[in-house]
Amino acid sequence: MSIFEKIIGDFEGKRQYREYKARVKALPEPYRASGAALERYLMNLGAGNDTAMLLAMLDDLVTLLEQGAEARTPIHELLGDDAVDFAETFLANYPQGSWISKERARLNASIAKAVAEGER
Amino acid sequence: MPRQVTEMLKGILEGLVLAILGGGPAYGYEITARLREEGFSDIAEGTIYALLVRVEQRGLVDVEKVPSEKGPPRKVYSLNAQGGEYLEEFWANWGFLSERLESLRAEGRTGPTTAGGM
Repeated sequence: MSIFEKIIGDFEGKRQYREYKARVKALPEPYRASGAALERYLMNLGAGNDTAMLLAMLDDLVTLLEQGAEARTPIHELLGDDAVDFAETFLANYPQGSWISKERARLNASIAKAVAEGER
Repeated sequence: MPRQVTEMLKGILEGLVLAILGGGPAYGYEITARLREEGFSDIAEGTIYALLVRVEQRGLVDVEKVPSEKGPPRKVYSLNAQGGEYLEEFWANWGFLSERLESLRAEGRTGPTTAGGM
């Protein structure tokens, strides 16, 4: 069981996730392996507990890869030369529910609190 | 495209894309192709795709799904009223930035007016 499957408990979420997996599996190479690599990175960096957000993100990701595969766009034209840069830009669209965005909000709140306490 | 241009573009790419949509509806690949024609040769399709996902989420564009001959339907994006307002704001900010930069460049040519410099 992957981390993702532990997070999504509900039936509908599982169905959508299986659909996503099937779409990735149907991709030709190198889109399929690129998709798997991107999913790993996005999930490690972004995966929070907002199932709907994660499923929307994966749906958007596989749609891009399907379009690229259909038009035979080379991976480097699709993602640019820096896949990390692409993944970060892509992830920034889905702020809700990601642990990194919670940590960012916490950092800002902590600094604001420190400033407020320092001024007292 | 030099690295510096790529970095500079990051902040204004959204404005560029909305400006293109201001000229009429387009789908993702058309926008990328148009930017490449304009000389932004290294722009990745995925970057524009991610950006379109974002402007859609923020309600700056309207999206219509148009069936394509093969594969999934194409999403055609058009600028809506909210997007139009955002674009106007973008141009105003761009005007400010470019004016300030030009003025700094002119100053750089004539040298600092006050003694001591930096």
